[in-house]
Amino acid sequence: MEYPADLSFLFTSPTRVVYGAGVSRDVGIELAGLGCRRALVVTDGFLRKTEIVADVVKSLGASCAAVFSDVPPDSDVRAVNAGAELGRSHGADSIVSVGGGSVIDTAKGIAILLKEGGSLLDHQGYQLLTRRQTPHVCIPTTAGTGSEVTYFAVIKDHEARRKMIFGDHHIIPDVAILDPSLTVGLPPVLTAATGLDAFSHGLEALTSAQREPMSDALGLHAMRLVRRYLPAAVKNGSDMVARGQMLIAATLAGAAFSNAQVGLLHAIAHTVGARHAVHHGAANAIAMAHVVRFNNDVVADRHRLAAEAIGVDVRALSDEAAGLALAEAISDFVSEVGLPLTFREAGVPEADLAACAELAMSDGAIVYNAKPVLRSSEVLGVLRAAWAGT
Amino acid sequence: MGIPFFSDEWISAYKAAINGNPAYKTAAADWTYGVVALICKAQPPFFPSDVGIWLDLDRGVCREARPVGPADALKAPFCITGDYARWKQVLKKELEPIKGMMQGKLRLKGDLPTIVRAVQAAQELVNSAAGMDTKFLDE
Repeated sequence: MEYPADLSFLFTSPTRVVYGAGVSRDVGIELAGLGCRRALVVTDGFLRKTEIVADVVKSLGASCAAVFSDVPPDSDVRAVNAGAELGRSHGADSIVSVGGGSVIDTAKGIAILLKEGGSLLDHQGYQLLTRRQTPHVCIPTTAGTGSEVTYFAVIKDHEARRKMIFGDHHIIPDVAILDPSLTVGLPPVLTAATGLDAFSHGLEALTSAQREPMSDALGLHAMRLVRRYLPAAVKNGSDMVARGQMLIAATLAGAAFSNAQVGLLHAIAHTVGARHAVHHGAANAIAMAHVVRFNNDVVADRHRLAAEAIGVDVRALSDEAAGLALAEAISDFVSEVGLPLTFREAGVPEADLAACAELAMSDGAIVYNAKPVLRSSEVLGVLRAAWAGT
Repeated sequence: MGIPFFSDEWISAYKAAINGNPAYKTAAADWTYGVVALICKAQPPFFPSDVGIWLDLDRGVCREARPVGPADALKAPFCITGDYARWKQVLKKELEPIKGMMQGKLRLKGDLPTIVRAVQAAQELVNSAAGMDTKFLDE
């Protein structure tokens, strides 16, 4: 693993991480530690009916100002505006988000509006904010997005039919409470998809054009944990060790890609997800081996590291062959945890691949791909391979 | 001697440099998304307050380049803000502007995907400026 003499990077990961089975009961303590007294709880309609949110509300006691549970599966501008309005009307000085990536991203948007006012569209930009936003405690109930430690929020603008990406160091959550007992109810297919999402964060951080040693360390260990514990978590959702290690892996990978960034794989997954509602983690899982092959002539040495981390024996192989072995191992892994291997199986029409390729060229992630992507035809080649499974 | 950075004379010369750059004309042939404004944050004693540049860009041509106050600059469809030292790094090609935005070294108001799609045009805007004889005020 070599780094250039002119290596230069920023690394930011300010989130306080609290881990352990049952630690979500400490949410009130964590909130008080931030000097906050009235939290808006942000969650979705399904979780609102569960004991998970009931217990969080109970733990907060009088510090719970209100509960906003109208977060849709894909976070959107209307939900952010409505949540902020509810928070304002109840005098919220902080946010506690309980849920998956959409819930946490919605909460990040609400955090902006509670601090800055206006509508979310007024704050469209990148690194535009100039001060810390509303204090935010995250309690993830999936192990994948890493949103609890990232500076991103992906929020859909339904009227414009597009996903807006907010990236700002001022929206990184203050506290992430990782409680594996909250993820035991996640169905196997979602466990697999979110787990492969975490794996893809680690891999793309490792190979990104902005790769650096700190994110390398986080990304490699995240991949190691996912490879070891995801099959167990899929097979037995009550395996608390596996659930816990997957939560940790997702957070490690989140910190990695929040700094080193992601690349072509995520540009593809964002696009296919937006146009054809393919689950983000599943889309990453499907395209991952094909992106590895696409990038292999530029970052084969990095692919070797990834292969070693997940237990592929590459000792007798050249870097290039190790990269191809990684691609094979990823496909086997995706299959092992029960996810589809092609976009055809996932319901993406072949006729739309060219439009997906064009849209992917506008995704911020593509700037950081290991190999510069200058033409949509290059993306289309990867998409076609991922569609057919060739 | 060089032209003082962000001066009226520099802004006029920048317009000429953009329009004299055939690579920009090609790379930005599809740019129909309007004005890009730049704000350099105050840097006493050289800039007592924030200063801005208004670049009216259309299909590979810079139709207008003029000084603008920061409040008006923020009304442009795209506005990129940075400290003096960051802009100096951009002009010296030590900081790639889109990566600078994503790292928080520069701040973007506007639609990131549109800017990302124009990554080569953005690079040619930088190349146009980098080719100028600029006098940096702290040198």
